[in-house]
Amino acid sequence: MRSKLPDAASSRKMAASSAVVAILASIWLCSSIAADASGSSSETTMHTNNWAVLVCTSRFWFNYRHMANTLSLYRTVKRLGIPDERIILMLADDMACNSRNKYPAQVFNNENHWLNLYGDNVEVDYRGYEVTVENFLRVLTGRHESAVPRSKRLLSDEGSHILLYMTGHGGDEFLKFQDSEELQSHDLADAVKQMKEKHRFKELLIMVDTCQAATLFNQLHSPGVLAIASSMKGENSYSHHLDSDVGVSVVDRFTFYTLAFFERLNMYDNASLSRLFNSYDPNLLMSNAYYRTDLYQPNLQEVPVTNFFGSVMETVHTDSAYRAFPQKNTPRETRIRTGNTAEDDSRRSILTDMTKAECPFTRIVSSLESKMETVGNLDSLVNYGLVMILPVLVVSVWLST
Amino acid sequence: MAKVEKKEVAAATPPWKPKPRPIVRLGIVLISHSLLVSVVCCTAGIVALFLLPMLAKNTYISENALMPGSASSMLSNHDISEAERLAKDLTSLNSGAADAGIERRRVLAKYLSDLGVEVGYHKFQSHQNQFHPLHFFSSPDSGLSRENGSCSSYGINVVGIIRAPQADGKEAIVLVTPFNFRKNSSSEALSISIGYAVFSLLSRVSWLAKDIIWLVADSQYGEYASVASWLRDYHIPVFSASSSHNADSCFEGNNINLSREESPGRTEISSGFRRAGTMAAALVLKVTDVKGQLEDTLSVYAEASNGQMPNLDLINVVNYLAVHRQGLRVKVEKFLSVLTWEWIWVLGDTLNFIGKVAGSLNPEWKFGISTPDYVEGTATLASSLYRQALGIPTGPHGAFRDFQVDAITLEISPKVVYTNQGRRNEFILRSARLIEGVVRSVNNLLEKFHQSFFLYLLTSPAKFVSVGVYMIGFALLVAPLPLVAASLYVDANKPEPSSQDPKQKLQINFKPWKWLSAAKQVFTVHAWGVFVSLLPYFISQIPNSTPAAHSIIWFSLSTFGLLVLYLITKSPSKPQKGKWENLKSLTISAVFIGLLLMSVVNFATAQIGALVLVPACLLAQPLKLDIRTASLKTFLRIATNVFISFVAFPPAGFFILKGVNEGFGNMDVGEFWTWLESLWAWNSATYIYIGMVHLPCWVLCLQILLHSC
Repeated sequence: MRSKLPDAASSRKMAASSAVVAILASIWLCSSIAADASGSSSETTMHTNNWAVLVCTSRFWFNYRHMANTLSLYRTVKRLGIPDERIILMLADDMACNSRNKYPAQVFNNENHWLNLYGDNVEVDYRGYEVTVENFLRVLTGRHESAVPRSKRLLSDEGSHILLYMTGHGGDEFLKFQDSEELQSHDLADAVKQMKEKHRFKELLIMVDTCQAATLFNQLHSPGVLAIASSMKGENSYSHHLDSDVGVSVVDRFTFYTLAFFERLNMYDNASLSRLFNSYDPNLLMSNAYYRTDLYQPNLQEVPVTNFFGSVMETVHTDSAYRAFPQKNTPRETRIRTGNTAEDDSRRSILTDMTKAECPFTRIVSSLESKMETVGNLDSLVNYGLVMILPVLVVSVWLST
Repeated sequence: MAKVEKKEVAAATPPWKPKPRPIVRLGIVLISHSLLVSVVCCTAGIVALFLLPMLAKNTYISENALMPGSASSMLSNHDISEAERLAKDLTSLNSGAADAGIERRRVLAKYLSDLGVEVGYHKFQSHQNQFHPLHFFSSPDSGLSRENGSCSSYGINVVGIIRAPQADGKEAIVLVTPFNFRKNSSSEALSISIGYAVFSLLSRVSWLAKDIIWLVADSQYGEYASVASWLRDYHIPVFSASSSHNADSCFEGNNINLSREESPGRTEISSGFRRAGTMAAALVLKVTDVKGQLEDTLSVYAEASNGQMPNLDLINVVNYLAVHRQGLRVKVEKFLSVLTWEWIWVLGDTLNFIGKVAGSLNPEWKFGISTPDYVEGTATLASSLYRQALGIPTGPHGAFRDFQVDAITLEISPKVVYTNQGRRNEFILRSARLIEGVVRSVNNLLEKFHQSFFLYLLTSPAKFVSVGVYMIGFALLVAPLPLVAASLYVDANKPEPSSQDPKQKLQINFKPWKWLSAAKQVFTVHAWGVFVSLLPYFISQIPNSTPAAHSIIWFSLSTFGLLVLYLITKSPSKPQKGKWENLKSLTISAVFIGLLLMSVVNFATAQIGALVLVPACLLAQPLKLDIRTASLKTFLRIATNVFISFVAFPPAGFFILKGVNEGFGNMDVGEFWTWLESLWAWNSATYIYIGMVHLPCWVLCLQILLHSC
């Protein structure tokens, strides 16, 4: 009896501890399942659409080039297939109608004046004093007042690829808005984090052309974010050339060479992001372009620039237009690409490769998940787990005595 | 200081003697060593003044919006040939004819209206600058009495206004070309040519954000008067029609009815006053013939009334465009006589040597300056300081500064008088492109000029000394004044040497009213100073008298006034110990206050005044005392005192300066009167300074020197 007393006590203890362990284990399992569900969703969600948020943050005539930068990018992404309703264009001043403009209602980004950036089809969503840090953050996070029209909102979803382009005057971890406000790197990182939490994007490319632009990315932590900056900390970003006819500098170097890269591309080209990144020559830029890729998993050599700068995606053919379709397990054979009547096999192969290429962890978790589904109910799984734990407990008690 | 001493007394009584605060102790130390401090500070102040050309910084364009030279010039040869046609039409009119002036005006107006711009005549009456004692520092209008004058003293400006095609018309840029419609002057015709070339170009361009006003100022009564009266009418509208009616009646009498003149060009010539927006900047353009130049030269005049300067950015823009775009030589005024002073060259050599030694010790120290640069800088700085101290505007741009408009006068002088039309056209092209560039740059401005300095001295067209630097020298110069005043006061109120008790020695025999008689004396002398400054107003009313006579009357009246005051306020009591110390202490305090006040109003005046007054006040000591203890030191002091008091006497100082600059050959007593007349006519605060600070303090110093102790 005596000897059994501790046994009884230990067995009671054991039962209690095993219950705790079981609870912990089940919690772990559940949470892992939940985490897997949410985590895998962003990884495996299909690319649904492309958005662009193009921001020129500086006012005044002598900052003509910033507006020209933004309008050039606007024109490029539009040409590459992002429709106007998915471009949020923010211009802090109206250079086209500035009384100092020698060419009224026209904006040029080159002294040869071949291309009027301010032609017929420019939809400016936020103009003049509407371009504030507050409005910018509201656009990113989608927290608008109810009166704000849909055209001024970033209505992206968890499958969206977003291009965020900003230009203006910046410094160490800030970007000046309107000569009166600042967007700090913390604000930007915070907004991006919120966007991630709210499933507002799948992938986000932030491109910034200001002085010390790289510092603006210091606080970013959200996965799926890729960042390009025109200059490192302590460096200036310079304008490319002066239009002595208009009397101002018309384009910045970084943007100029970005545009030069895109001018050679059309919607169906396969140029990868790494090709874009390698196209920047520090001697021509007079600054060092900076790329932050640690938050972005896909291999840059395999990601076409049109993933962000254009809108080239798969469409899913369904029989009925009104029935919701599952996102997963879509038959690959039915995929067709929009806007592409010509056959483009190499392009397609990249796409399929990308969808196949998953990271090993995801693969394990998803297989576990599928196994879980075959088990049927969780209760039996928990029971099995408890039974499995008992021999382990016995062995451990035996070892400890 | 009295308070400090009191604290000392209070602190002495308790057994646990608390230490006074460090600042108090520092003050006591400085006061007790006031002699050393004053010698060191004054020397440092004067040395700092001579170091200023070395400390000058290169100018830079501070305002981002200006972007000078970023746009290419649009001026074409067509504009110039049109302008030359106008100039020919103007000069071909017979200058002898009585109505040549009217005809020239009409030709100019026709050309302007052909450009499609708004044209208007502005009639004004030339006002003689008069001395109004109460009008210093007041707004420009209050000095104006719109009394009826004779019709002959009316002048007519021609004004053309280009409305900016895409702007809101809230701002304007003003171009001014003085032109005497009655005379036939080739250089003035050249300046009209340049002005018209720019104006005709600007009337076509689409990039104007500010309206352009071209004022062809009728300079028959002086360049300044016409511009000033136009500005006054521009800013202060007259709602009663009496003034303009008066002018109109004059012209009707002369059969020149401008208002009903037929309109020859594309636009109506209005008789009403035309306005545009607030003025962002103004450029006064003049062409002068200066013989013996090596290249085309641009002289920049910037000083306005009371030493006010336009924003440095305006000068920077002009300098940048002239040097780097048009290849003109830019110069600012300098005292040529300084260049001939041997000791300045020696000083420059020394500083150059010191700079080189310092540079060899540490390559980071780059304050060396070559000797010619130093001497040039000093000559320019001296001129800049003098022009600002005088407080008289150096050109018609001064009228703009009264309305807080940044303006400068550009005086372009061609290398030779061009007879060849091609060379002449090229000269016009360069000058007009300069003006066009400046206008385009100012047109880019978003706000008033505010980014760069307003308080500066120029040492070359591209170098300046800012207020933060030049104030140091002045501060060092005046810093000893309060210290010496305090130490003198303490000395004067020391206990009698009979009390040998060391405890007693600490205790100060505090007699609060001892300084009162000295204060009374100082106050009376300053009241006399006010009286002397007001006298010229009455003297100038005397008809038919020469400046020399004025001077003599003024001098004798002032002396008489001083004598009367002296006799009235003379204290019957015997002179007591410490009396002259008290007087000196209070004089120094008065000088200190006066100099500080003046440094706020017009720094240059205060700086020059301090150079004279500070040594005079600090060294002043009764001659009797010095004579009693005859030694080399006292003899030196007597000599210095006499010399300084002679130099510090305003007329003497004036004639000495004049003699140094122009030679002592022909001196006229009346010149001093004329000089002072110009000061008060331009409402220069320097006049007030001389009358109310300098002169009383000089008299007080004399009183100290002649004190019977």
